[in-house]
Amino acid sequence: MAQLSVVRSPHDEALELARTLPAPGPPPGRFWKIDVTKIDVDGFSPGSSEARVEIASKAALRGVVACDLAAAAASHPREAAAEGTVVDWRGGKFAALNAAHRQSRLCVIIPHGVVVDEPIVVRYHLRGQAAFPYTLVVANEGAKATIVIRFEAESGVSLVSEVVEAVAAERSNLECVVMQDLPKSARIFSSRRGKVAGDAELRWAIAELGSGLSVGDVRSILTAPGAGTTIAGVFFPAGEQHLDLASEAEHPAPQTRSETLFKSAAVGGGQARFVGNIRIHRAAHGADATLRDDALLLSKDAHIDSIPALEIAANDVKAYHGATIGALNQEEIFYATTRGIARPDAERMIALGFFEPAIARFPTEGLRYELRTKLAEKIV
Amino acid sequence: MARGLIVSQLRVAAGSTEILKGIDLTVEPGRVHALMGPNGSGKSTLAFALAGHPGYEIVGGGARLDGEDLLALSPDKRAKAGLFLSFQYPAAIPGVSVANFLRTARQAVKPGDLPPAKFRQVVFEQLELLGIETAFLGRYVNDGFSGGEKKRLEMLQLAILEPRYAILDETDSGLDVDALRAVGDSLQTLRKGKGAEMGFLIITHYPRILQYVEPDVVHVMMDGRIVKTGGAQLAQQIEAEGYDGIREEVTSGAA
Repeated sequence: MAQLSVVRSPHDEALELARTLPAPGPPPGRFWKIDVTKIDVDGFSPGSSEARVEIASKAALRGVVACDLAAAAASHPREAAAEGTVVDWRGGKFAALNAAHRQSRLCVIIPHGVVVDEPIVVRYHLRGQAAFPYTLVVANEGAKATIVIRFEAESGVSLVSEVVEAVAAERSNLECVVMQDLPKSARIFSSRRGKVAGDAELRWAIAELGSGLSVGDVRSILTAPGAGTTIAGVFFPAGEQHLDLASEAEHPAPQTRSETLFKSAAVGGGQARFVGNIRIHRAAHGADATLRDDALLLSKDAHIDSIPALEIAANDVKAYHGATIGALNQEEIFYATTRGIARPDAERMIALGFFEPAIARFPTEGLRYELRTKLAEKIV
Repeated sequence: MARGLIVSQLRVAAGSTEILKGIDLTVEPGRVHALMGPNGSGKSTLAFALAGHPGYEIVGGGARLDGEDLLALSPDKRAKAGLFLSFQYPAAIPGVSVANFLRTARQAVKPGDLPPAKFRQVVFEQLELLGIETAFLGRYVNDGFSGGEKKRLEMLQLAILEPRYAILDETDSGLDVDALRAVGDSLQTLRKGKGAEMGFLIITHYPRILQYVEPDVVHVMMDGRIVKTGGAQLAQQIEAEGYDGIREEVTSGAA
């Protein structure tokens, strides 16, 4: 039966944008094997992404909320209204696709002044051909919390389009961790962005370990004086994995501070492009931004393009960027082997050490241990 | 089986340059040999070649460690066979803690022989002996270390790995008085205790470290050859006359 629609719903608009907006590109590097422009956004049937949230009971008692956005709209209308204000779904093909299909929308709210010590863990259980997890995190004034987002995918999940919107209100302290360890058969398109108010702090810790293809951005917008952010991450394409990641620290306001730190490696035929953006607006006097990104190539066919992009319109700012790319240092390997450590073990130890400054940015020993274990498995 | 670190007619090249032109040297268990000589004479090349550095090519001759063909082994197997090299310029390994490195190395050369509690005790004893704070264990290997800290870490590893033969390459160079004393005390303690059977090849161009560890034999190397061998008094002669005296003696003797 044909349907007649008179008014275009946001869903239809989002779907149309997902169909018509260009895919992110161009494909980086001559070894890149996946053509993102060939991905047909209508070529799958949407599945589901069910969120399970672990909150310590102490935090729940103090008013921390994790529920569907529709329910939050009734109980916490001000916070729920932040949906779509951080990630503009009209601005990108896959963000639009997420907006068109996001079935369950998780909303986590930390009330005014509430400090949550235990990390709040969100596990998305992904089912079907395509899944569209969506998370809105709002830390109200003076609140402090850590959110850890993880995925469990059933077999058959081939496309994941993920959006995280984080709102850090005045004087809040919010930490968002994403552990992406999807099966190689899945492709993920992600947009993880946060808006940081005055004297607030937003820390991202992103681990991109899984999936055959990961295309995404992680971004903080520092909207008022005293706002600060850390964007830290590790990624490690191995085998035939491909990754195209952009970070952005945007400084529209004066006296704002950002630190971007990425450590990456590639092995086998692993391919990656990382673009580290720092954008300091004309009004952002006294801004302080650093970008450090180091890449380790562990095989001949592995490739990482590392592109720092600094756009600085203000005069009295501090901006630093440093990037290295290279293989393991042979003198370090020799030194370790003279201590009886077999060469493959020495290489693994040194490569893991290379990641350590970024691993240290993950908030719990459990996460750090998990990261070291998973990274070590990828080093051959 | 002949015990000892036995180097015979060893010739070593770096690139197309032959640096060692036939070295004969035997370090017996429990004995201290000093290898002295001016800069550029080939002392460090000998140390690196024996440890298995890939930048040096063995052109001729051989080296055995308690009967085992050292040169046939990879660097890690040489360490397992009982060889230790204290580096003149140890490499930094960022992101790898001293504690982790020591544990991994000990486990590699002597698998499973020390329960963790005992291992900790041994490490703490050595830290105290070397005048090192325990916070040192949490730092990254040689990363941002001062010269003295690097050499203390080499001595810490020597004490913990308990090799049968140790080559100390310019361990005394670049040390201030306190660091030299710490390193010297550590060596003396080692020699009185579990290192009594350890053979030492101490490479130095100043005899400073030899005040702490008196050599049984002193060799002088020049231009890739050992030109003179004698007792501890040879080191004193070098201290007094410098290498020029020896050079004259050797060249006039050869003429």
